[in-house]
Amino acid sequence: MSMFYIHQSVCVSAQKTNGVIDLDDIQPIKDNKLQAIEPNYDAIPPAMYRRMGRAVRLASGAALPLLNTLTFNGIVMGTANGGLEDCIKFLNQIVDYNEGKLTPTNFVQSTTNAIASQLAFFSANKGYNNTHVHRGLAFENAALDVGMMLNEFPDNSYLLGGIDEISAYQYNIESLANMYKKEVVLNTELYNSKTAGCIPGDGCAMFAVNKQKTGATAKLKAIGTLHTDKEEDVTQYLKHFIEKNVKDDALNLFLSGENGDSRYLPYYNACKKIVLNVKTEGFKHLCGEYATASSFALWLACYKIKSNNLKNVLIYNNFRGKQHSFMLVGDV
Amino acid sequence: MSRIFVTGIGIISPLGDTLSLNHTALKQGHCGISTLELIHSNFAGKLPVGEIKTETQVFKEKLKVKETGYTRNSLLALHAFIDAINDSKLSNKEIASYDTALIGANSVGGMCLTDELYKDANSKSEASEYLSSYDGGSVTLAMQERYGMRGIIDTINTACSSSANSIMYGARLIQNGLAKRAIVGGSDSLAKYTINGFNSLYILSDEICRPFDSERKGLNLAEGAAFLVLESEETVDNKKVYAELTGYCNANDAFHPSSISENADGPFLAMQGALQKANLQPGQIDFINTHGTATENNDEAESTAMIRLFEKVPAFASTKSNTGHTLGAAGAIEAVYSILNLINQEIYQSLQYKNPIPKTSLVPVTAYTKMPINHVLSNSFGFGGNCSSLIFSKA
Amino acid sequence: METAALKHQLKEQIIQFLNLTTVKPEDIKDDQPLFGEGLGLDSIDSLELIALLERIYGIKINDPKEGRKILVDVNTMIAYIQQHRTK
Repeated sequence: MSMFYIHQSVCVSAQKTNGVIDLDDIQPIKDNKLQAIEPNYDAIPPAMYRRMGRAVRLASGAALPLLNTLTFNGIVMGTANGGLEDCIKFLNQIVDYNEGKLTPTNFVQSTTNAIASQLAFFSANKGYNNTHVHRGLAFENAALDVGMMLNEFPDNSYLLGGIDEISAYQYNIESLANMYKKEVVLNTELYNSKTAGCIPGDGCAMFAVNKQKTGATAKLKAIGTLHTDKEEDVTQYLKHFIEKNVKDDALNLFLSGENGDSRYLPYYNACKKIVLNVKTEGFKHLCGEYATASSFALWLACYKIKSNNLKNVLIYNNFRGKQHSFMLVGDV
Repeated sequence: MSRIFVTGIGIISPLGDTLSLNHTALKQGHCGISTLELIHSNFAGKLPVGEIKTETQVFKEKLKVKETGYTRNSLLALHAFIDAINDSKLSNKEIASYDTALIGANSVGGMCLTDELYKDANSKSEASEYLSSYDGGSVTLAMQERYGMRGIIDTINTACSSSANSIMYGARLIQNGLAKRAIVGGSDSLAKYTINGFNSLYILSDEICRPFDSERKGLNLAEGAAFLVLESEETVDNKKVYAELTGYCNANDAFHPSSISENADGPFLAMQGALQKANLQPGQIDFINTHGTATENNDEAESTAMIRLFEKVPAFASTKSNTGHTLGAAGAIEAVYSILNLINQEIYQSLQYKNPIPKTSLVPVTAYTKMPINHVLSNSFGFGGNCSSLIFSKA
Repeated sequence: METAALKHQLKEQIIQFLNLTTVKPEDIKDDQPLFGEGLGLDSIDSLELIALLERIYGIKINDPKEGRKILVDVNTMIAYIQQHRTK
């Protein structure tokens, strides 16, 4: 199935990716995290803004410039946790007030579909509206959903997004699960780290996509996902993916989702051996690790294709060694 | 585009843990709503809920779960999943094939463990075994891992319409050539989280719910799971076929985070779109399994949408009067009930109904009825304006 | 507490509970309708304010429709609080 063209995109991240883009001026970790720089929220009506948790806020800030200038037939989001901060705030109310009279805003905002539906309210968009929450493949499934919508309705346009937040609560849970580095590791030194754990991050990338080549920035040519913890399953899948999708076109760049966690590096190293002569770059030193970080990678691939005149970029990402994805992005 | 057939069903609800128990209960007009017992909560012993009266530990033993981190939600899902794959006679090889997709759906994920999550998130104790079980994806991943599934795996959360959307997504994967078969459905377990959430919105009834009644006081929360095996016409071969999924549509009401607009555009567009997809005229729908939660807002808005779309509103009922509202599982559970309508050519009465809503005057079916049924429309509407409708047709 | 001081305190509490970051207590007039055209609050806000009344003033309201009769403007809220507060 052919996928779609990406026309405009907005990326809110820990780096200078929104507004004036400057990826050379690498923004450092703060409190051992790479939290997204919040966008300008002037376009959000105050009556709505006051209720928003970080995830809904970041997504609204990223999506509004697109929603205000373009028309979409539907909105599809990928988010593993949505507004988890609101969720825990509500949970704390349950405990702190012993199941008494609780305020409903946190509850309403905590449902993962609150993001896609907030974007629908902004733009009075009554079309297709879906939220994929499949952890490390939430964004990939959202992209696949949009790919199918455009296969079914080739004249349509969709808003596709990937969004997750890192809240204090999330940080506590994942720290207990040994997901984050225990020692301070600068993001500029991320790939030299030999220990377990990653640097947590968050952010949001929004894409205006359709089947029209004219005026497009890049094309998502193919997407593949796989669940396994076996290295050979991943490499076999990659070989097949390249054989089927890359053909004779040159690959210019391999964007590797390695996150400085020694436990998951072998998957990336095995894949690099398959694309041996292709230049490799990481991206998690820029955006940190989160379940929908592949949406940042897709934005980065589009940016690099346009600014460096690349032909084909292959993104490989895995989430905790179990959920793997490949995205092939090409020029127009 | 390929036709989509249902070849396997698995269901667990407050009406029973098998398809046949659910069928018998519906036929007899049985209500599975009772008082909350199994959750440690101030609401225990008071609140009417659709609770499955089996302790979580008993499910673990019954399903031979040795893995850590299994939540009640995952166990309910696994229960229905196993019944669905057995019913469809799928081999382990077929289940693990690259051609088999698994699309789960739920709205609370592992937050049924409200107290454990509270402690883990606030660093109040040693880590629990559930650190990786709180998100919605964990429920689907538990099934994926158990069966080594390699096809497209996804989890959808659009609140109360979640599993209608997972059914729709699975069908579209097949029709777009990305899978040959899809195991689709959803689950949700009762949780202190949702009980308190719905309570904070004043939409829980302190009595057994009365869908479409003028005196309705709100919904009853419930738990359950259902999975369907969808197969393309190419792979279905000589298999037993329950029904055909002919129509589906997803639309957004774009009005309010927790209520539907007076005009009910979202429900109207979802039903209208499903009819268009199925290439049917409104008059060809024989029965509607409504969303019918028994909240003031839903039942009136849904009635408005039905009146807008249908010149003569077809026979309709709400099985939430039997089960309560199973949230993320509701779309799949009610898809199963719609299929029961079709294969048995019968309609199950809506319970606890007395008088029509004055504004719309619609009367649901109040007695078990045998009648010819070719097409059933099933509605699922969620918070955030997420509305979806499915149409099942006689195969 | 004097009515004027109580009014100011209530306005601060409304701002805090509803996260009205751009509003100051003096922006809320005593007879300005809280809902619709006035302060522009909606049905979810009314539930938040019912929780405010219970938590801070110990006033229990079990039917949100009853709540809306009290939550007309600051004056009606104050009158109700002064009569019914339990803390």
